[in-house]
Amino acid sequence: MKASTTQPVIALKGLVKRYGIGDAEHTVLDSVDLVIEKGEFIAIMGPSGCGKTTLLNILGLLDRADDGEYLLDGTSVDTLSAGRRAHIRSNQVGFVFQNFNLVPRLNVIDNVALPLTYRGMRRLKRLKEASRMLSTFHLSEREYYMPWQLSGGQTQRVAIARALVNNPSIVLADEPTGNLDSRSSHVIMEELADIHARGNTIIMVTHNPDLTSYASRVIRMLDGRIDSDTKTPRATKPATAPKKRLDATMASSEKKPAKKRTRKTKKANKS
Amino acid sequence: MRLLLSNHITNAYESLRGNRLRTSLTILGVTIGVASITVILSLSGGAAKIITDQVDQLGGTIAVVRPGAVTKETQVNNLTASLAGSQPTSSLTEHDVNNIRDLPHITAVAPIMLLSGGVTAGDNTPGNVSIVATTPDLTKVTDLPMIDGQFIDSVTNRDTAVIGAQLSVDLFGTEQSIGRTFRTHGQTFTVIGVLKHLNNPINYNNIDFDHAAIVSLDSGKTFNQNVAHIAQINIKADTVDNLPGALTQIRKVLNTNHQGEQDYTVLSGNDLSRPSNELFSTISATLVTVAAISLVVGGIGIMNIMLVGVSERTREIGIRKALGASDAHITWQFLIESLAMSLAGGILGYFFGYLLAFAVARSFLTFDPLFSWQIAVATLGISLVVGLLFGLYPAIRAARKDPIEALRQYH
Repeated sequence: MKASTTQPVIALKGLVKRYGIGDAEHTVLDSVDLVIEKGEFIAIMGPSGCGKTTLLNILGLLDRADDGEYLLDGTSVDTLSAGRRAHIRSNQVGFVFQNFNLVPRLNVIDNVALPLTYRGMRRLKRLKEASRMLSTFHLSEREYYMPWQLSGGQTQRVAIARALVNNPSIVLADEPTGNLDSRSSHVIMEELADIHARGNTIIMVTHNPDLTSYASRVIRMLDGRIDSDTKTPRATKPATAPKKRLDATMASSEKKPAKKRTRKTKKANKS
Repeated sequence: MRLLLSNHITNAYESLRGNRLRTSLTILGVTIGVASITVILSLSGGAAKIITDQVDQLGGTIAVVRPGAVTKETQVNNLTASLAGSQPTSSLTEHDVNNIRDLPHITAVAPIMLLSGGVTAGDNTPGNVSIVATTPDLTKVTDLPMIDGQFIDSVTNRDTAVIGAQLSVDLFGTEQSIGRTFRTHGQTFTVIGVLKHLNNPINYNNIDFDHAAIVSLDSGKTFNQNVAHIAQINIKADTVDNLPGALTQIRKVLNTNHQGEQDYTVLSGNDLSRPSNELFSTISATLVTVAAISLVVGGIGIMNIMLVGVSERTREIGIRKALGASDAHITWQFLIESLAMSLAGGILGYFFGYLLAFAVARSFLTFDPLFSWQIAVATLGISLVVGLLFGLYPAIRAARKDPIEALRQYH
């Protein structure tokens, strides 16, 4: 990266996070330095307990670091009040979770519109925005379904639509394909790649080495430190090929008979 | 930051509708509390209104002097104090009455002496009879319509009496009893007049005229070793404007007569209704307290169900926070839910309270419950306060949830 005149979206300097007190104290993040530029697609890999999720939570302002500096869009967020942090979450961060985390009693469109609620947008405008976002994910027909009526892949696409609806500067995905079969996983990854191609910054935690091929940069963590940080060439040309693949996969998944989908839903509910 | 009020209201509606049984049981708790408060307030208000209406009818020129110092109303110790107030040592004397009568702008002065003892005619000795000894002026101060005959006056005989319609029926089996006799305190009285059926046992004279035998003050004194034992002096001024001046004069005279000791009370206007039903208002205050306890129980129900709701929706709280909800948003979301329940309980309680009040009033009482905006505001206000008070803690608890912990929780 030469001559990056633009400000990095995220800059971490010596970030430390500890849990527990006294003897039980455990350093989860041990002086992490990281700079993330706008438009990167980062995959964070590493064994369980290496601090991936903690890092993601701190990046998403759900958690606070104990030490170190965190600049989001050039401004320090360490000393902000809870209200300001909520405000930033509402405007600049989009979350995608492993277990989807749709609000079970709200239908699809209300779920997608939820982040806009906290920006004070009027209901009609909110629903229009949500509807527009859902249509880009080919989910227009599912707007008034309830979350439990969707397949796992569809649920996660709704969750991604929700993460993107407020046009965030970073999208944080914590094992977005962790609860999906490999076919749905690839659909989701194609979606994320597509979002990335549109210029969004994506930071994804994953266990699955296959999925790192979608990322422009792979960060491996070990014991709270960044072990390796490799940029993959793929990032330069976020491709047309995956896009085609996406359409093909999605078309096939949409054609699947309903029987199979209900079975999958049951499995998802159980988990 | 906007409050998102309409959003919270829709949200509350949906979540309350989602748990219908639970919601309606919680609302029922508040409804019962508010309904009982509404019943008590409307009935006691209705009773007090009777007296104020009587006072208003007389044109606001009436004042009353009672023995005993001024007592504060609605204190539980008045429950006994007001009974002690009618003890047989009145601080008011005939001398006071005569002094007041001599004052300017006073058109009528009627001392009222209440006597114990029964009345008998033939074999009939009805219970619950008040023997009232007074002067002819009473008719000028209190509206006492007659069915038949005349009221006692200065030329009528000492052993004549006017009786209430119900007493007449109890004694003689008819309301037409002019000329018939009854006995009390060893004397025989002839009935010279029968009062119309008034059916208002609650009045500022503290006398149920339907069951009263009215004799002259002189006769009354003979029952009591020639001492007038005055329970109340009714006074009428010539005009409304002259009443305040007359009251000052009365106080001055009484102050002189009683050597500066405040062992009497001068009342006028709306104050008249107060001490006359002191016992009544004390009882209603006690009942309101009991009803308030049931409302607190209702509030605890709200708190309980809100705490359940908060822990059930921990994950939702985590999701909402991750999506940008601030602590204030979450607090309001849950607070509005509890306010919605308590307000619904308040409105239902208000309506059911009036239904109950009417049912009670029509079947047991002689007056209707009072409708006033104060009662509406009080009941709805109380229910909102209950919702706020008992909803605040669960709401704050919801807002304080750590989003990471909350998201980790399944279901």
